[in-house]
Amino acid sequence: MAQIEMRNVQKFFGSNQVLKDLNLTIENGEFVVMLGQSGGGKTTALRAIAGLETVTDGKILIDGVEVQDRKAADRDIAFVFQSFSLYPHMTVRENIAFPLRAVRMDAAERDRAIKEVAETLQIAQHLDRKPSALSGGDMQRVAIGRALVRRPQALLMDEPLGVLDAKLREQMRAEIKRLHIARGSTSVYVTHDQIEAMSLADRIVILHDGVLQQVGAPDEVYLHPINLFVAKFVGSPVMNIADVRVDGFEVVLNGADTGFAFDAATLAGLRNSQGGIALGVRPEAVLLGHDKAPGYAEATTTNIEPLGSHDIVDVRLGDTVLRARTESGFVRGEGQRVWVSLDAPQAHFFDRKTELNLRGAA
Amino acid sequence: MADIALQGITKKFGPNTALRGVDLDIKDAEFFVLLGQTGAGKTTTLRVIAGLERPDSGKVVIDGQDATRWNAAERDVALVLQQYSLYPRLTVRGNLEFPLKSRTHDLTATQIKERVERVAETLQITRLLDRKVERLSGGEMQRVSIGRAIVRQPRVFLMDEPLSALDANLRDVLRVELKKLHNDLGATFVFVTHDQVEAMSMGDKIGVLNKGRLVQVGTPDEIYSRPLNTFVARSVGTPPMNMIDGVLTGATAVLDAGGHALPIVRPRGADGQKVRFGIRPEDVVIAADAPASGRVFDVENHGVLKILTLDIGGTHIHATVPARMEVRIDDPIRFGWKPEKLLWFDPTTGRNLALV
Repeated sequence: MAQIEMRNVQKFFGSNQVLKDLNLTIENGEFVVMLGQSGGGKTTALRAIAGLETVTDGKILIDGVEVQDRKAADRDIAFVFQSFSLYPHMTVRENIAFPLRAVRMDAAERDRAIKEVAETLQIAQHLDRKPSALSGGDMQRVAIGRALVRRPQALLMDEPLGVLDAKLREQMRAEIKRLHIARGSTSVYVTHDQIEAMSLADRIVILHDGVLQQVGAPDEVYLHPINLFVAKFVGSPVMNIADVRVDGFEVVLNGADTGFAFDAATLAGLRNSQGGIALGVRPEAVLLGHDKAPGYAEATTTNIEPLGSHDIVDVRLGDTVLRARTESGFVRGEGQRVWVSLDAPQAHFFDRKTELNLRGAA
Repeated sequence: MADIALQGITKKFGPNTALRGVDLDIKDAEFFVLLGQTGAGKTTTLRVIAGLERPDSGKVVIDGQDATRWNAAERDVALVLQQYSLYPRLTVRGNLEFPLKSRTHDLTATQIKERVERVAETLQITRLLDRKVERLSGGEMQRVSIGRAIVRQPRVFLMDEPLSALDANLRDVLRVELKKLHNDLGATFVFVTHDQVEAMSMGDKIGVLNKGRLVQVGTPDEIYSRPLNTFVARSVGTPPMNMIDGVLTGATAVLDAGGHALPIVRPRGADGQKVRFGIRPEDVVIAADAPASGRVFDVENHGVLKILTLDIGGTHIHATVPARMEVRIDDPIRFGWKPEKLLWFDPTTGRNLALV
């Protein structure tokens, strides 16, 4: 268990800066997920914490002690990779026992430690088999077991489920979360999969181009994205983004005749924007009706995706197509007239130039 | 534009049987999706239609004519694959022109130019025409691949997982575009995928393949709401339909796991009959006054909603709940189901008892 802190961390590969002034505190016992695209800097940040990568400048502290100049082995942190990196010639038991070689421990104690991890991870029946005889899920369980057997201060995981199929990934996700709760160890987990991040994390850290974009609980990141990148990266289908202008007390989509009313305070904030305004609204906040009603604008359906549990309906308003989430069968077909409104509290506005959320991130 | 029929198609590769007596009718101008896992036989079916594989038995009929012995060129179909297979040294224009320059087409340079430009416009790649293919993004490359198929104006488009290599957002966009393209061209599309979201959202009809057999053909709604058996039931929907074994006891379903008694609308079978009950996650009800009790094993936050995994006496089931529901791992919870949404399957054969 440990608190991990990154202070003004910079990392260059040659002239390419992959971490740009990273400041982050991961609390003791917390599960933090670093989320971003490939090349965003998330793996480099993780490897810097582990000591697998030096930092060019800045400090890394574990429980208040500077460790940026210490070797990986001296940081008491365990690392799980996407490729399981098990020793193929050793049995599962020997693989799990491997990190204990460096630790003074009598045989009985060692066996107890191995047995305990193996039982937690449900791989006790495989202890005397070679890794090659295991399924992908079990191999990753062994890799996690090997990481945990030393009872490290923190567990770092780099896309550990990336190579598994969807069903196994979902199952392993639940296991990793329950393991974290049972052990209470500080965990840092890297992924590009936003659902994985939303489901696992106490807090999500979003990195893009080496810059920390937002840190927050899953609901904060989803409901109050701080900028356009976060807004578009989290959520599926992706948030609708459309250029708008302010006209009187309304926000009007390009090419549309009627707009949507917003409160005076919101509109005042928008009028100060220099770079043009983009409306951001998730499909579940685009409201459809069959009848004309106050606050609703006329639109035409252009596409319907019936997904069984719900439909995704595309509607055209002026020059803009918005995707709406509706109950199954709400709209019969394409080319139909419907009435559209926005759930105002769930609508965001972004400055096109700064890309910042003008309604603020909560 | 063409009707396609497969009649009793069987295809073996050495000791492996890829297709087992597949009968299939695809109507002119239909968007037909073949859905199945790896090894189910969907790509083989597509290649049999294309004339790239000869079936061991059975007939391929195109527009009423027996086409079984026609070669690929004679069938006048276009194939779009997951890998783009473009000529990397050529420009986008060069790639689009290529299929038109063969001798079978006999087009003038002006005609070729016109066709290429019309196709580029349809696919919104006009500005890319003079760019080298290797400079394009994945989505742009796939558009060019589709363009190369369209430019020949074939009777049938065969697509083998064309969106699988793209990232999720681009897939969302191209799904809509492909459907629009299908409407505009009015051609027959046969689209192979393992992704049930693609199948549900694009297909006029879905054919579900399992181990070389065509299990069910229907509209997305039919496949989702009236699956023929447990395999089809679990092949669409996220998370998949819950399958819970139990016994019909009076006017209730008594679950083997935990012995919970849940309501039914009306019995389909005799008292004491064993049933595999199918209920979709969105039809599992979480409420303080629900009839049964369980424990929250896992919570997945999808932003717009949460997916709970419930432990109900050792068995896990999924429930979809609104995002605002406050729930934590290991919370005790009360659950039930919407009895009108319940499906009944034979626990031995897997057949839907309502459709037998």
